[in-house]
Amino acid sequence: MRDRLLEIRAAGADLAVIGNGNATFASAFREDLGLQDLMLLVDPPLRSYRAAGLRRGRSEVLSPRLPTNALRALRQGFRQSAVQGDAFQLGGVFVIRPTGELTYSHRSREAGDHAPIEDVLAALRPSAPEVVETQPASAFARRIGSALSRVLDPTIVFSFDRGGFARHALGFDPADLDGELGDRRCLVTGANSGIGFETALALADLGAEVVLLCRSAERGAAARDAIREQTGNRRVSLEVLDVSSLLAVREVGAKLASERVDVLIHNAGVLPDERTETSDGLELGFATHVAGPHLLTKLLRPALERSDDGRVVWVSSGGMYTRRLSTDDPQWKQRRYDGVLAYAETKRMQVVLSELWAREFADTRVGVVAMHPGWADTPAVASSLPRFRRITAAILRTPAEGADTVVWLATVAREKLESGRFYFDRSARRTHFLPQTRESDADRSALWALVERAVGAPSPRRAARRTRGSPS
Amino acid sequence: MRVSTRLAGITLQSPDGERVALNSLWEQRPVVLAFVRHFG
Repeated sequence: MRDRLLEIRAAGADLAVIGNGNATFASAFREDLGLQDLMLLVDPPLRSYRAAGLRRGRSEVLSPRLPTNALRALRQGFRQSAVQGDAFQLGGVFVIRPTGELTYSHRSREAGDHAPIEDVLAALRPSAPEVVETQPASAFARRIGSALSRVLDPTIVFSFDRGGFARHALGFDPADLDGELGDRRCLVTGANSGIGFETALALADLGAEVVLLCRSAERGAAARDAIREQTGNRRVSLEVLDVSSLLAVREVGAKLASERVDVLIHNAGVLPDERTETSDGLELGFATHVAGPHLLTKLLRPALERSDDGRVVWVSSGGMYTRRLSTDDPQWKQRRYDGVLAYAETKRMQVVLSELWAREFADTRVGVVAMHPGWADTPAVASSLPRFRRITAAILRTPAEGADTVVWLATVAREKLESGRFYFDRSARRTHFLPQTRESDADRSALWALVERAVGAPSPRRAARRTRGSPS
Repeated sequence: MRVSTRLAGITLQSPDGERVALNSLWEQRPVVLAFVRHFG
């Protein structure tokens, strides 16, 4: 190491070493080498490793450079850091000129894969050309990935599954999640498990203030403590809220609206076996997926408009592709209840409602998007769709992979986001595969009227009469 | 986006607790930036 340092300095450059262990190990390392003047920095949270697009040894096989995987591993890394940093993180070497030009890059493919010193020294010569990097996934891999996606995505199974995520992820730009979220206040419903938990965890890891909105005080508190512990972010709090109760939404919504809201994520979901009616007389799925979130959005509207980059994200489901928007019997009073059908119907409503809300917010800085996470192995799937899970277990995505697009929609630069669109694996997608599922403008208006009625908003006519004043 | 741009906004600590903005590392002369798996 000492010789390397001298060679590099002789070439008119300097050496800086970044390690992922903690400061104690770093000091010991420097003393062992007898290099007191070596620039040494520590980065246990691996922020700079991620920014440099460095690989992780273990997760590479199944899914190339998934930020969410890195996050999961990062948590393990925190535990290991008491011993010696994150053992799965791989290193790399870069040569950067004062102009910011990169003349050398080497990212380790496995432990022990080191950069040859001759190549590093060659890159220090003034004549060394700039290395132009597009994205860490090679251009070739991305071309193959996108060609495969053109063929496989219409098959659904090979798109919504784990392999689909790995393939789509080849086109992800890791820089999208590099932003600092320190000044962002994010609300996540259903945040104590599955995709909601992974979303809250990732946002907290990126430094955001996160408010978990959970039905159960106990499970919510456990999730809050786990996220605080794993990310070191103390600005994670819990609000107990059952989104299916309009009364509860009104109470909590009023409380939350007193401060600015930057991101509102409608994630809470249910899939009951039997028709269940809430105290407001609504079918439970409709109340949880549609009426509650609609009312919460209405109440938080001023708080969202206070943000200079407000976002509302609806976590829908790929199951919505099977249903046309229908407002005929939303409370399942005239039909025999079918939980899966009811779920898909309300998930379609969410997609259309998201588009309608995007229009409501059109003249503001608030963007509204919907997304579907693909098929992820979450507690909800395990309890509600045991058969589906048995058949598909081997190809299901992890909850963190399911959450990736939610986190991306909450984080990515505003100009990359199209308000009103429906996203899957970080890309805007069509909302219909089948022509017979297309809704009309009349259907859309009927949906808005339906949800407004459901949350007890005055009808337009009554509202108009009120503004005119009572005739006397 | 260049790696240098992505790294520029990050500040890390030295073992002695000194905060170092990464872009200061290549401000004066070229730098060889070595990310290691762990120390030792």
